Amino acid sequence: MENDYYVCTGCALLCDDIGVELEGGKLNKVHTACRKGFAFMKGCTNPMECAVNGERTDIDSAIKEAASILRNAERPLIFGHANSSSGAQKKAIDIARKTNGFIDDTSSFCQGPMVEAIMEGKLKTCTLDDVRHKADVIIYWGADPANSHPRHMSRYSYFPRGKERQRGWEEDRTAITIDVRKSDTAEICGQNGFYQIPVKGDAEFMDAMVSALSGKIPKTSYDLDKKKLLELASILKKAKFGVIFAGLGMVYALDDREPLYKLMDKLNSVSNFHLIPMAGHYNMRGFNENLFEETGYINRVKFSGEEVLHGPEYSVVEALRQKAVDAALVIGADPLSSLPRSVVRYLEEIPLIVIDPCHTLTSVKANVTIPCGLVGVETGGSAVRMDGIEIEVKQIVDTDRLSDEEIMTRISEAL
Amino acid sequence: MGFGQFLSAPETKLRIVTYRDVFQDSAKVASIFGEDYEKLSAVIKLDPQDISKLSIKEGDTLILKNSFGKVIVKALNSGYDHSHTGTAYMVNSPWSNALVPEDSGGTGVPDFKDFEVLASSAKGGKVTGIKEII
Repeated sequence: MENDYYVCTGCALLCDDIGVELEGGKLNKVHTACRKGFAFMKGCTNPMECAVNGERTDIDSAIKEAASILRNAERPLIFGHANSSSGAQKKAIDIARKTNGFIDDTSSFCQGPMVEAIMEGKLKTCTLDDVRHKADVIIYWGADPANSHPRHMSRYSYFPRGKERQRGWEEDRTAITIDVRKSDTAEICGQNGFYQIPVKGDAEFMDAMVSALSGKIPKTSYDLDKKKLLELASILKKAKFGVIFAGLGMVYALDDREPLYKLMDKLNSVSNFHLIPMAGHYNMRGFNENLFEETGYINRVKFSGEEVLHGPEYSVVEALRQKAVDAALVIGADPLSSLPRSVVRYLEEIPLIVIDPCHTLTSVKANVTIPCGLVGVETGGSAVRMDGIEIEVKQIVDTDRLSDEEIMTRISEAL
Repeated sequence: MGFGQFLSAPETKLRIVTYRDVFQDSAKVASIFGEDYEKLSAVIKLDPQDISKLSIKEGDTLILKNSFGKVIVKALNSGYDHSHTGTAYMVNSPWSNALVPEDSGGTGVPDFKDFEVLASSAKGGKVTGIKEII
């Protein structure tokens, strides 16, 4: 085995304890990674080819064609970025600026609201290392890390024996799941640690928790075990270091963040609570931070000369629905897989460029496909973990494919 | 072809809630065009009472449709110990996304995890392939 550890880019945990074995310059074995990380690092069975209008071509011609499409567009969309290195993301922002384009990422229909609130200082947060060493009450809210981030509970949030949690999950930690169904994570938390709520019942549950924490009788329009909720309030009040992992179940259920702000304020008036968004893709948070640094916004931006426009009308969903863009470059994402079919149908009507290591549903419809190296295996770079910690990612094997950052640099230069 | 082919299948309105599955997600990473991914994605998990109401057996195929799309998926018993009649679960995938309403109310966030479909037996019809969806 190589005497070195590598970073898995399979999800936003960016586990940095991955062992590998090489054979003939190729990755032969992957140790420590979860099922998803292993699949990611081993690489897909359908690598993407370099092609223009379905005809295989060389990288120079593909980059030239991509630049031509973007140059001729009046309002291109530069979308994706969640599975891209930070270097490639910064170049994508340059390209959007140069072309007066829209730029958005997957956080736009995912964890954007939570990341935005954290970056604006509206929600108290902490690192996963803090959780590992200190957390005694852990809430998975609308989140199922057993499936979405398989090493989350074992590496950071529940099972580890941290510096201040030497007795581990058996005595030192209490795990709670709040969800609309009994997920695999809820099974781990046990019957006493599972609070089932109706679909979109999250805001009311938050209000009820605030009441219970204030010593009042909690009320909801749906059936709720008031005694169990008062017991929960008692557990939360006694927490020395609490953390809420906010999943998409919570994000999608809230029409606005006020109920969450009220709950976090209340929790922090009686104990000590933090929130970490369960970002899925390995560098979604990185894109949010990179764009925020450049523009003051984490996503949904349109450049217009010196002006930076921002709002839901510049989101990928609304831009495609309203047919507001006239070309698209997709990197590190697969909108045809992850967005409603009725929304992404418009991508077939405009010139489309896809940059990815593998064939995707979106690449099937692309005019230009440019394969890049798989970040974390074939190329290095940096990325930002779900808790905002920057992680350096090393290359493991050689490749003749360009990195995502090199491709974006060359497209930017060709503009 | 049996006599049943000529009878209209009972239709039931279902509220769909989507979720994540590590096995399906890993299959996607290996190949989104692969058989494993389709097998693990093109499914709907139902309450046993809804399976009865639809006059189907576990493992039969169901047509799911609404004004945004139509797919055929395999029906499975959810196995949950609580009753959830009228609510069914689909793993997040292009099959569920074919049915997600496009209108986000101007927010830019469609209702990925909560939408309605009309379900009826596909009477042995094949599961919709990934290439038919795109």
